[in-house]
Amino acid sequence: MFGPGFLSTVSGMDRVVAVDPGTGLPLTEAQLDAWTVAAVLRLRKRGVREGDAVLICLPTGTDLLVAVNAVIALGAVAMPLAYPPSPEAVHGVAARVMISDRPELAEESRVRVVVSPHELAG
Amino acid sequence: MYSPQAANHNLPVEPNRFIGRARDVEELCALFADERVVTLCGVGGIGKTRLALRVAERLVHRFPGGVRLVELARLTRADLVAKELAGVLGVREEGARPLADGLIENLRGARTLLVLDNCEHLVEACAELVARLVASCPDLRVLVTSREPLRIPQELIWRVPPLDLPDARRPDAESVLLFMERATAAGIRISLDVLPDVADLCVALDGLPLALELAAARTKVLSPRQIIDRIGDRFTLLTSGDRTAPARHRTLLATVQWSHDLLEEKEKALLHRLSVFPGDFDLAFAEQVCHDRHLLQHEVLDLLSGLVDKSLVIGEGERFRLLATIRQFAAERLAEAGESDRFAERHLREVLAVQARGLRVTFEEQRMERPDRLEAFQRASALVDDSRAALDWAIRAGDARAGIELCLIAAAPLAVAGDAAETADWLGLLLAMDVSAVDPSDLLMAKSFIAYGLEARDELRQARELAVEGVEGLRAGAYHFRLGVVYAIAVRVLLRLGEREASRRWLEELIERARAHADRFTLAAALLYRSTLALADSRLREAQRHVEEALRAAREHGHPWIIAQVSLQLGVLAEARGDLEAALGHLAAAVPLNEELDNRAELARVLSRSGRVAGQLGDFAAARRHLARSLALAKGTGQRLTIAHCLSALSVLAEKEGDLEGAVLTAAAVQRLRESVGQPASRARTDELMARARAELGDGRAAAMWAKGGELSPEEAAGRVLEQEHVSAVDPPPVRRRTVLTAREQEIASLLMRGLSNRAIGEELVISPATVARHIANIMDKLGFTSRAQIAVWAAEHDLGSA
Repeated sequence: MFGPGFLSTVSGMDRVVAVDPGTGLPLTEAQLDAWTVAAVLRLRKRGVREGDAVLICLPTGTDLLVAVNAVIALGAVAMPLAYPPSPEAVHGVAARVMISDRPELAEESRVRVVVSPHELAG
Repeated sequence: MYSPQAANHNLPVEPNRFIGRARDVEELCALFADERVVTLCGVGGIGKTRLALRVAERLVHRFPGGVRLVELARLTRADLVAKELAGVLGVREEGARPLADGLIENLRGARTLLVLDNCEHLVEACAELVARLVASCPDLRVLVTSREPLRIPQELIWRVPPLDLPDARRPDAESVLLFMERATAAGIRISLDVLPDVADLCVALDGLPLALELAAARTKVLSPRQIIDRIGDRFTLLTSGDRTAPARHRTLLATVQWSHDLLEEKEKALLHRLSVFPGDFDLAFAEQVCHDRHLLQHEVLDLLSGLVDKSLVIGEGERFRLLATIRQFAAERLAEAGESDRFAERHLREVLAVQARGLRVTFEEQRMERPDRLEAFQRASALVDDSRAALDWAIRAGDARAGIELCLIAAAPLAVAGDAAETADWLGLLLAMDVSAVDPSDLLMAKSFIAYGLEARDELRQARELAVEGVEGLRAGAYHFRLGVVYAIAVRVLLRLGEREASRRWLEELIERARAHADRFTLAAALLYRSTLALADSRLREAQRHVEEALRAAREHGHPWIIAQVSLQLGVLAEARGDLEAALGHLAAAVPLNEELDNRAELARVLSRSGRVAGQLGDFAAARRHLARSLALAKGTGQRLTIAHCLSALSVLAEKEGDLEGAVLTAAAVQRLRESVGQPASRARTDELMARARAELGDGRAAAMWAKGGELSPEEAAGRVLEQEHVSAVDPPPVRRRTVLTAREQEIASLLMRGLSNRAIGEELVISPATVARHIANIMDKLGFTSRAQIAVWAAEHDLGSA
């Protein structure tokens, strides 16, 4: 009944909402929607609940957009950090989960689980 | 000890109240719904082990296959990881097959949680083993505690944070509660006006549980404020030493150092010396190993209690142990004092003494009461960790002589407990060293014991050379118990190689000498061989005469192992002459003896034979009972050949009952199992069975059953004949959550079907795109979907478009 690409052929879902400055790859509305929902499910599995703080430490790009979107969608509080980050930035923050490609940042924090952008999309 | 209704877990009782971390425990429990391997990471003293035990305890009801704790801190060699796990699970080595195969056999098919505690010093070995087990056992979950992650693909790294710290809004944070609880439990009353000081102390100690416990144990003599000041001093001293260590680690070290410095000199000395014990120990052993001119034996008890009061030593009933962090600290202090070698040496000597007594009471002394033998045997067997540590030391110290001596003494209990192979490994390491100081007769004996290990691994050719060298070199000497063992090893190896004449020559000489020296244990074992040889030549009456003589000697000696061996042979002979009732009786007598020794692999073999004999007698119910129990034990101990024997017996049983399909199915399973073990079965019975099956069931049906049997797991095939309710190897499919979507969710599903983006849906419903994303995630959760397209299809199928 529906081909795999049917969603993007209607209603402007192939509209490009962002271009990753790192890779130069475009992000379509459909991709953003799909990845955001996948990220919401993943974060929930990792224990994020409504009202929790979530540290986000990613370079500017589509991963960052998806991460922030997903955290807000969960009803959690997104705490984006400047990138590249300084290790002190995470000290004393009560976040249990951090989304980042730099797991070593969590060493002296109270972060339990670091979710990589790769994992977030999977 | 063996009990048929073994508890479903081996977790220790919590030594004191667990404080805080409620949400962490809950989340970790939930993670195991999806995750295969979760590693609790963090610095020493942060509370990884307590958290893991808490989570594991909560999960017991979700793991019908059991929750098993494996403590790795005491191990020093990577190759012992699999062995330790095998010990906990009750898996025994089986011939030449790698131990991991036995572990997989045990863990396959039932939801099991392994808790591997303190992996950091063996992280690579743990990573390799866990990756392999998880790949082969789909229902296995693993909870790891380690300072370093395993870094395997299936792993979720979960960083254990310190306890919450108090602030103005939350003066009763976890860290404060823990401090107060431990202080109160120690009988100390903290007045309300020092609460702000307690809060400051918790902050100064970074909320580290171990640091808090050590501090709380001292509040009898020092106020919280005094403790802060003194630890502060320590902290400055320490930071000047190692600035690169993580802050938390420095805080912990400073606290341990402070608590240690408050000890009296003798307490310090004892604490340092206790670090020579790899695992837990009892008072008597601590007294033996740790005393000297300045610290007298009778003082140890008081000093040890003092250390327990200060939370530096953990007391569990009559056993004591040190936390890994404290043990490491104590070992460093012992090394600084230049006393490490002296006490490692003392430990080795004391282990030798206990093992020597074990050997004497268990085997050498004649006419002892059975409970006394069993007690000494168990005491010696409980010293496995200490023996390994002592052997490690002997190798490090270049003392091949003491190492070999210990192996030769400890080998006997190890061999009876079913692990001759490990002794052989150690002896291999020791013989590779400079052995010029070793007594030549000990060297020959060592070679002979290596032959025993090789024989257990089916490496008979190499075993033969060493076994023969041993017996030929040693037979001229005076007789003693271990010389008897050397003879017996040669007899066994030659017999297995089919060299009957050579085997018989050594056997006759052994019987004569054992009899002359009234060594009844060895005499009974040798007479058993004689009986086996006679049976092989079909001289049944002679075989019977020998076994009866063996029984007299075994009874006089009283060790349950040798009596069980004789009972088994009596059963074998009775079966051979067709007296099935008598056979069942003798086999039944061997059952409680093996239970007493907790020798489950042997018990499985006895029961599989009982099952076969009961089947021949036509008592199918009893046969099923024995075979079902044998199968469970064989699987638990990883003995695939015994599983194959059980399946063969079940196949015969099914055929007798006229269930040809079941007979073919199980026969096919036997064939596949035997091929995977590298011991193909003879085709005679199978060919006969298949001919009958083709005649009665038709070619197609018979072939189909054969093919199906080859695909089933051994338990599934057995279950078909046992008619037990088969325990499914996988979880029942998740109950589809009732697809009750809220009105809003239905609305969004229908908009999804129209192909709208989140933003467009948001505009339509006047909500934010993020809220749309959350609703979609909720819909996926409820329906078990993973993509928007699935929702769209579902909405179309449920006609939500008109909504």
